[in-house]
Amino acid sequence: MSKDKSLARRSEQEIEKAETRRTMLPAVDVYENDEEILLLADVPGVDKSGVEVRFDRDTLSITAKREASQPGNLIAGEYAPADYARSFVVPQSIDADGIKAELDRGVLKVHLPKPAAARPRQITVTAG
Amino acid sequence: MMTRWGDIWSEFDRTFAWMDELRRQMDAAFDLPLSGGAFRLSSGVPRTNLFDNGSQLVLQADVPGLSEKDVQVTLDQGVLTVRGERRVEAPSGYATHRRERGTYTFTRSVALPCEVDPEKAKATVRDGVLTVTIEKAAHAQPKQITVHAS
Repeated sequence: MSKDKSLARRSEQEIEKAETRRTMLPAVDVYENDEEILLLADVPGVDKSGVEVRFDRDTLSITAKREASQPGNLIAGEYAPADYARSFVVPQSIDADGIKAELDRGVLKVHLPKPAAARPRQITVTAG
Repeated sequence: MMTRWGDIWSEFDRTFAWMDELRRQMDAAFDLPLSGGAFRLSSGVPRTNLFDNGSQLVLQADVPGLSEKDVQVTLDQGVLTVRGERRVEAPSGYATHRRERGTYTFTRSVALPCEVDPEKAKATVRDGVLTVTIEKAAHAQPKQITVHAS
């Protein structure tokens, strides 16, 4: 009962949001070679500490938090700082422990190594 | 009767042209980063913000993947121009599955809203964001006027 009352009251004293953050999809390139899948994402304005790369079963998700940059009053603007978020279904088995991510000049690079069993192997033909 | 049918078709054409135009405008209005990320022509290339903090003007632009040497900044007669080039090449030996990050060159010019001191301008690139800081000219600086009791 008491819970219900507090819910009803909430609408009147709802806390005003200081900022509404938008989330946008970063532009991504995906490459593959025999050893790994390589993913590159444009995340300008993001610091290393704001990046999160998660791999859960077959889904890779990247989120990057962009700190609001306000060096003064905005007099002409084309964008509001937005966080980046995107997830991918990785269609093949990936060595989850070997996933590495690096951030270089606003570009996030994620290396998804293939397990040894999934790599193509060269079989040497021996004379019988 | 034949001519009437012709009229109807031209009416259709006009309607479709109008729909195409509407869709183009909606594409421009919504910032969907699916084709080339933040770098759609609708928002300018690259997306730029200009700030005024009293004594300085600060321009910020998203330039992911670029470093200082890839960007040229010039200041001429109160117009700030930013030029740059971004090349995205598939790493050698890799097959490409998805390609959204564009290769492009850009030039953006901004007429500055007040006089500035071109000697005190500096530009940095950090985490894929270009920041140009320009000191305002002495007479364009805000002044504090003391109120005296009469």
